[in-house]
Amino acid sequence: MGGPLRRFRFAVPYLLLAPGLLWLTVYYVYPAVQMFIASFWSGSLSQGYTFSLSNWTNYTDAIARYEEQFVRSIVFAGLATLLTFLISFPLAYTIAFRGGRYKNLLLFLVIAPFFTSFLLRVISWRTILGDDGLFLGPLKGAGVVPEDFRLLATPLAVITGIAYNFLPFMTLPIYVSLEKIDRRLLEAGQDLYAAPFMTFRKVTFPLALPGIFAGTLLTFIPAMGDYVNAELLGQTPSTRMIGNVIQSRFLVNNDYPTAAALSFVLMAGILVAVAVYARLLGTEELTSGV
Amino acid sequence: MSQRDSFLDRRITRRTMLQGTALAGVGAFLAACGTPPAATPAPTTGPTTGPSETPAPSASAAPTEKPTPSAVLNFANWPLYIDQDEGTPPKSPTLEQFTAKYGTKVNYVEAVNDNDQFFGTIQPPLQAGQDTGWDLMVLTDWMAIRVIRLGWVETIDTANTPNFVANLQDVYKNQPWDPQTNLRAPWQSGMTGLGFDEAVTGALTTLKALWTDDARWKGRVWFLTEMRDTVGLALLEMGKKPEEVTEADATAAFAEIKKAVDAGIVRSFLGNDYKESLVKGDLVLGTAWSGDIIQAQLEKDTLRFAIPSEGGMIWTDNMLIPKGAQHKYTAELMIDWVYDPKIAAQIAAYVQYVSPVKGAKEAIAANSDPAVADLAKNPLMFPDDATLAELHIFKALTEAEETSFNDQFSTVMGN
Amino acid sequence: MTARPIDPRTAPLRPTVAQRLGRWLSRYGLFVYTGLAIAYLMMPIAIMILFSFNKPVGKSNFTWVKFSLDAWLNPFGALGLQDAVVASLEVAFVSTLVATILGTLVGLALTRYAFRGRSATNLFIFLPMATPEIVLGASLLTMFVSIGQPRNLLTILIAHIMFNISYVVVTVRARLTGFPRHLEEAAMDLGATEWVTFWKVTFPLIFPGIMAAALLAFSLSIDDFVITNFTAGQTVTFPMYIYGSYRIGVPVQVNVIGTVIFLTAVGAVVVSTILQRRDRGA
Repeated sequence: MGGPLRRFRFAVPYLLLAPGLLWLTVYYVYPAVQMFIASFWSGSLSQGYTFSLSNWTNYTDAIARYEEQFVRSIVFAGLATLLTFLISFPLAYTIAFRGGRYKNLLLFLVIAPFFTSFLLRVISWRTILGDDGLFLGPLKGAGVVPEDFRLLATPLAVITGIAYNFLPFMTLPIYVSLEKIDRRLLEAGQDLYAAPFMTFRKVTFPLALPGIFAGTLLTFIPAMGDYVNAELLGQTPSTRMIGNVIQSRFLVNNDYPTAAALSFVLMAGILVAVAVYARLLGTEELTSGV
Repeated sequence: MSQRDSFLDRRITRRTMLQGTALAGVGAFLAACGTPPAATPAPTTGPTTGPSETPAPSASAAPTEKPTPSAVLNFANWPLYIDQDEGTPPKSPTLEQFTAKYGTKVNYVEAVNDNDQFFGTIQPPLQAGQDTGWDLMVLTDWMAIRVIRLGWVETIDTANTPNFVANLQDVYKNQPWDPQTNLRAPWQSGMTGLGFDEAVTGALTTLKALWTDDARWKGRVWFLTEMRDTVGLALLEMGKKPEEVTEADATAAFAEIKKAVDAGIVRSFLGNDYKESLVKGDLVLGTAWSGDIIQAQLEKDTLRFAIPSEGGMIWTDNMLIPKGAQHKYTAELMIDWVYDPKIAAQIAAYVQYVSPVKGAKEAIAANSDPAVADLAKNPLMFPDDATLAELHIFKALTEAEETSFNDQFSTVMGN
Repeated sequence: MTARPIDPRTAPLRPTVAQRLGRWLSRYGLFVYTGLAIAYLMMPIAIMILFSFNKPVGKSNFTWVKFSLDAWLNPFGALGLQDAVVASLEVAFVSTLVATILGTLVGLALTRYAFRGRSATNLFIFLPMATPEIVLGASLLTMFVSIGQPRNLLTILIAHIMFNISYVVVTVRARLTGFPRHLEEAAMDLGATEWVTFWKVTFPLIFPGIMAAALLAFSLSIDDFVITNFTAGQTVTFPMYIYGSYRIGVPVQVNVIGTVIFLTAVGAVVVSTILQRRDRGA
């Protein structure tokens, strides 16, 4: 490479970042700032809204009133992420190491169900999980579960619903980080540790960490703000998540300030969680630079 | 194609857009300190001030000059809410015939999938004093009331809608929120009452069932997420009138609803998905819409709809011309068009809700297809006067009441 | 104690039931697990496909009535459905393409270069994912209104690219982290320019990550309802159509179109797998 190009090497990362970050700045940051301003509004639709910093109470009021739904969101999203991980990791592992020439096919089988509509999947799930559906119907017939047992409209339905819907968001990142592992490393590990489990723990797992980090976040973050699963599979007051509250504050009650304040509380909480998580997992180079 | 048409059309009306911009300028100034209040006061019966395809007549222009139909009409409606033929892709005879008569291409978009969602999409432009892009939109009456209250509709010039004036059923006229009956035109109506699976629950006639701890339906009962339907029925159960609901009545009604939830009788609050659960058997009793039960009966013939002995609710989806609509005159022509009994019958035969048009029943009964003609006898599509007398319309709420009721209802539902 | 006579032929077999199971599990356990996981993923799809062959009596398609090809023979036989499907596919393809390119570039910058502002950017990338859709959609609409931008296919695209970028960055980064830099260094030592090294060494190595990211972006885009609804103007997309039609009854045709999209995606890979195999065999 010639001298002049080398001199501008420092600009390369900025040039790579520019198009994407510019897009996000115009179409994300700008609306987000408007939203932040709205969180300090008071007023109503017909009287108009006025901005005042003294409306910081929007935040404290919102947290106090919806603490229960916040906690529920953390629990549901956390359990769903764990469940997704337990299903996804062996799946990604098998596709990456045993998939052979069917790798791509298996990968597409994981993602293709999500090229269809969410509502169609929910309608299908309700057919399967219904009180007398494909799953519970035979079980009740055989007397394995009591007549009044149900899966729909329970926390379990919401958690498994979330887990199902974010499965590819966990599986694919884990797959891409496993798939790049140099086979010779695994062979060396087998020579060194003999026990397959030790190889897994000392070699495979650490190398898969970037994928696990990405996958858990791609699942957990949107799951925290999710509302559709609770809306369509939960449907009871005891399964409402914070996403449902924001949805209903905004659309039904036209309470834009509270919806905006709740959103910022949620976003701040998620950012803190991401930072802590990165540190715990030892992948802080992913979030805090070299 | 439709995209291009509407774009060209926009350019033609550039002049009228400029009038809108002047208004928006004032709005922008106000926006400097938050957002402006609703851009205009509630509409009056006087001439409309918003831009329309005919520039306001100047002093020299002949006042009798007739406006002409526009090249395109942007019509937002709910999906599957108009007649369609068997073509590929299907077309709507009602709209095709309109185009044949007036030369207007109807850009009919099934964009209204939920009152609140749709309001979310028209609120920012209306608040900013801009037009929404729609000339005609269909909203359920409580949402129509809100939009009217905010001053976001154009007054219908009834001189252009003789069919509407002549054929609107009397029950819809002179509502307190539309005293001159010129702010909205009903599209279709429906009744809210008890929906149940008779094979499981037996025949039911009273709303008390929803509060009765009966093993046949405990935990398999739903309430509608539409606040006015559920609260309206709760009020009727308590012997109160939904037309005259007070803050205290409402609070009592919410407590009543909560009682049924806490007792474990009610499982879910549902919107349109109750029909699915009812057909699949997960739910067996709840507050339901008549049109849904007509449909669901085809899948499960033990399903029943009953107007409770305490009374039921009636709701209406209404055509409204949003403030600043580009083609107001053509929108009025469309309103008049669907109030032609023959056209109304065509729509009603397909959607099978309650038609607000006088003469639609007779037009259906005269249909050569006996299956269609039979629909005229369906009491859920054409309720008789005695039935109509048992139905109540929820009070037009003030903004403060609406906020408070919605808030309490959200709390009962868990958000 | 009396010693039982031991038959030398059967004795070694005694522990093998457990042993065999263990061996079988270690050999096939993962495959069984994977099979079950795939089956779990496919269950709702199977129901969707099944009901595309239904002939419902009413307008809704919840219970099985009888087999029929009616919907398959007239897949766009519902008013407005065709336009909605076309709009959704256009948006999904274009937004996936643009977001994948933009996101991959950002991912490259974040993993391969040390620069000022890197850690802030790293954290910032998570923000759009963490923002509730409803508020994001509404603020975008407010912005489009305030700059006088009419809502149409373009505004839907802008929004989809925006929310897809983060997902692409995070996925591509999972591939790039721990990237074997020595391969690139070796190529450069052998005299390859940076440009050639990128296309010959780096790109093939990170391609699975880019593909995974694109697949995720596509699935997000084709199924988005909330943000699309706010930015759509007079356009109706496939998810908007389904959500809206649910009030009266989702037409069977919707199942047909869902099935076709699913089978096209899977079918394309099956074909390419077969072709690859033939190439290798030849």
